[in-house]
Amino acid sequence: MSFLQPVLLLGLPLALLPVIIHLINRHRHRTVQWAAMMFLLDARKMNKGLAKLRQILILTMRVAAVAMLVLAASRPLSGGWLALTGGKADTIILLLDRSASMEEQTLETGESKRSTTLTKLTDLIENTATGSEIVLIDSATLTPTVISKAAALSDLPQTAPTDTAADIPALLQAAADFLITNESGRTDIWLASDQRQPDWQPASGQWQSIRADLTSSESVRLFLLNFPEIQPDNLSISATNVKRQRSSEGLQLVMDLSIRRGDRSEKLEDLTVPVEFTINGTRTVQDMTITGSELIRLGHVIPLGKNDGRGWGRLDLPADDNPLDNTAYFVFDEPATRKTVILSDDSATAEAISSAANAPIDHAVYETVTLSTDLAAQIPWEETALLFWHAQIPQPDSAEGALLKQHVASGRTLVFLPPPIIFPQTEAKTPQLFGFQWKEWTEANRDSLDINWWRTDSGLLSNTQNGNPLPLDQLKLFKSCLFTTEGQDLLKLKSEEPVITRILTDQLPSSAGALYAWGTLPRTDHSTLATDGVAFFVMTHRALDAGTNAVSKAKHRETGPEALPSRTAGVSTLSTTSATSFLSPSLRSGAYEISTNPETSYLIALNRPVSEDILSTVSPQAIDSLLEGVEFRQINDKLGNGDSLASEVWRIFLTLMALALIVEAALCIPPRTEVQKPSIRLSSPNSVK
Amino acid sequence: MPEPVQRDFLDPAVLGRLMGLPLNSRHPMVGSVSGRHRSPIKGSALEFAQYRKYVPGDDTRRLDWRAWGRTDRYYIKEFEADTNLRLCFIVDTSGSMAFGEEGQTRLDYAKKIAGTLSYIAAQQGDAVGLYSSADGIEHEIPAKRGPRHLGIIFDQLARLEGKGESSLVQAIHHAAEKISQRAMVIIISDLLFQPEPLKEALQHLRFRKHDVGIFHLLDRQEVDFDFDRPTRFVDLEGGPSMLVDPSLIEQRYREAVGNYFSQIDDIMNHSVIDYHRTLLDEPYDQVLARFLIGRNPKTARSGK
Repeated sequence: MSFLQPVLLLGLPLALLPVIIHLINRHRHRTVQWAAMMFLLDARKMNKGLAKLRQILILTMRVAAVAMLVLAASRPLSGGWLALTGGKADTIILLLDRSASMEEQTLETGESKRSTTLTKLTDLIENTATGSEIVLIDSATLTPTVISKAAALSDLPQTAPTDTAADIPALLQAAADFLITNESGRTDIWLASDQRQPDWQPASGQWQSIRADLTSSESVRLFLLNFPEIQPDNLSISATNVKRQRSSEGLQLVMDLSIRRGDRSEKLEDLTVPVEFTINGTRTVQDMTITGSELIRLGHVIPLGKNDGRGWGRLDLPADDNPLDNTAYFVFDEPATRKTVILSDDSATAEAISSAANAPIDHAVYETVTLSTDLAAQIPWEETALLFWHAQIPQPDSAEGALLKQHVASGRTLVFLPPPIIFPQTEAKTPQLFGFQWKEWTEANRDSLDINWWRTDSGLLSNTQNGNPLPLDQLKLFKSCLFTTEGQDLLKLKSEEPVITRILTDQLPSSAGALYAWGTLPRTDHSTLATDGVAFFVMTHRALDAGTNAVSKAKHRETGPEALPSRTAGVSTLSTTSATSFLSPSLRSGAYEISTNPETSYLIALNRPVSEDILSTVSPQAIDSLLEGVEFRQINDKLGNGDSLASEVWRIFLTLMALALIVEAALCIPPRTEVQKPSIRLSSPNSVK
Repeated sequence: MPEPVQRDFLDPAVLGRLMGLPLNSRHPMVGSVSGRHRSPIKGSALEFAQYRKYVPGDDTRRLDWRAWGRTDRYYIKEFEADTNLRLCFIVDTSGSMAFGEEGQTRLDYAKKIAGTLSYIAAQQGDAVGLYSSADGIEHEIPAKRGPRHLGIIFDQLARLEGKGESSLVQAIHHAAEKISQRAMVIIISDLLFQPEPLKEALQHLRFRKHDVGIFHLLDRQEVDFDFDRPTRFVDLEGGPSMLVDPSLIEQRYREAVGNYFSQIDDIMNHSVIDYHRTLLDEPYDQVLARFLIGRNPKTARSGK
């Protein structure tokens, strides 16, 4: 707790005045020669207990009243609750969620969750922690920035709104890393977020190390400033799977369109919304009716003009409680050839993959190239969207290794298939390419290779758009190759060994393409992947789709620090809603044209991550368990709540003083059953006989 | 020559007023000479007592011939015998009796009561004795008649000083044993000790057929306990002193006094004691007048 008039705290010893007066009063006693000591002794015996306690309470109340008066005069400040701030910290780390969902605002004040956070934290720091080192870590960059003045917080580019998602575990980890690196002493960490479940990622393995790091520092306190409220009138729009197609009627755009309502209650009236479509600057408005909480239009068609073979577009909703989720951008161009390269010496495998990859699902051009392993140098890296690597894994520092890294880093897809012979690793400590290594082939004996589980919510094996799972329960494996890697398992055996995994490695940037390991082959003696071809076909085309975006001249990406090339020289903005020009374009949704050289220019549409439209929040109980063992306090705030985190609380002290005086007065009231003075009957009846 | 002592506890005006009120005993007394008190021994005074059957050896002069003439039987006519009484004072001279301002202490009050009653008794021809107690029996003067003996009593009263712990109970037992014949025993004390032992001592006196009266002397301050600021109470009987905030224990003190009074009342009623609770701010002549009037059979019966 801090005080606006701390000098007055010097008067705090005055609180002892009642005790001193009491002691003086006791010493100013008079002395009386007394005969009836027996009554005094009896009275004292009877008096032990309540009366003494009452006397102590009276004295305590008097002391408390004076202390409260002095404290009130010192104009104490407190954050939210008394003792919230507890004392001045050496360092204050502000962790700011800059995700698009934090831009929800009240229409009355125009204050968003993010700006409310900044205002309150600025106020808190200026009032209670002047002199503390202020460090800002924002969710978009995860870079610690030392702030000289709290008042400047709102004007910093690092606090401006973005269209990104937030990674709360990464944010906390960044704070923990900062603490460890800088040995910050007594530190208060303020984390402001809207508690969105995708941002908090309760299933993330990072929480364990965060807990360990934060609990190891005794002088760290964590404050969670939560804005869990969701504006029910808000609408969000998104457009995915945007493809340019040529039909009999000419060029057209096909996309999956989704409009979600903030109100998730069951009985909702239909809502008609005017959606503005803009194609290359030409606007049209179409009314769309939302039934229930969400409108999903799969394969929504927009006809294109003859001259609109290449360009950009956007979908806009009318202004509402969150301006950042009212727009969805897309770009389109001549569809790229969906080229698959299979590097394999096994003709059966290559043939099965080729058949699946060449089977068209739309009007795009499909092409498959099969190369034997000794012709790896002939791989057309620039045109390849999906590469099946059915060969030994090259060394990371080899030329092939570097090319594979570049292939994935550029957004293309790579699938490792197990080679027929696995060479044992000679040196265990030798770094592997992508941290991946084949172990050994295993063959089925009874149920050993039965499928146990596959990931249905995301990835190659996720459910179809209508929610049906892929028929993987019918898949049979006869041979499987085990492997070791860090990653996200997509298909597992009953022995919990993964068969299909998405490899996650820190050797690649976050914008890299997908990298998979398939532990079996589409051969009849290995599995029924090729014979029961549905799942295999879907897997292959999903992998191809993901890679095609990288070779396409019209790419769709989610906003993020590396969403656009780091050099901004060749980036030109076609359209964006963001008013903050100093903000990195990677963090703003919009349509951009990238022309690093005159021959190779392409279009990019950046949109906020889909997870930003998911409205579920983590419960306080879930946060309790995520941060178990960490000293933290949750403060739930509301949009439009003008209460300062640090407010003058002298009224509380005056109230307490009044209470103390009332209690003291009540204690001083003589009990109702006061014993009257004993009646003196002068003579007994025996005297009159 | 013993040094003359001041008898300021005797007030001629009070003596003059009270002389008109005789000191009566509530029970028959056994005296050595004729007096104004009833005796258990039947004699030939003027007051008729009873008829009794004649037995050989009786004085035939006391035969009631009229009764013989009416009933043809011999009856002896008996009359009350009047005698003097022995008035014995047991005065508590413990330290607590020194309570009060100089010249107006509880003991001074006790002396006034004892002195005045002694004088009245002596004037009636009664014998007066004095027992004083503090740390045991301090002085003991057996009851005797005569002006000279009264002078000795007065001198002893004048010399009494309040000091030491109370030993009134032992003194009562001692006096009960020492006083051989029926007597009037007047105890003057503050009775500031636990009352239980007092009951036994008083019953001892009653067992010896003594007519017992008690003047229980208390100061109003001791009863009301009206103190307004912390006070150190120093025990007059030499016990440890106590520093007390009166506001804290005022109620409990009064409760304790109330309990004590009810115990004393029980004991006095049970032992049939002529008990007078006396406040020191009350004029002692009024106290004595009430005492004497209460003992007068005529006024007591008529309720005057």
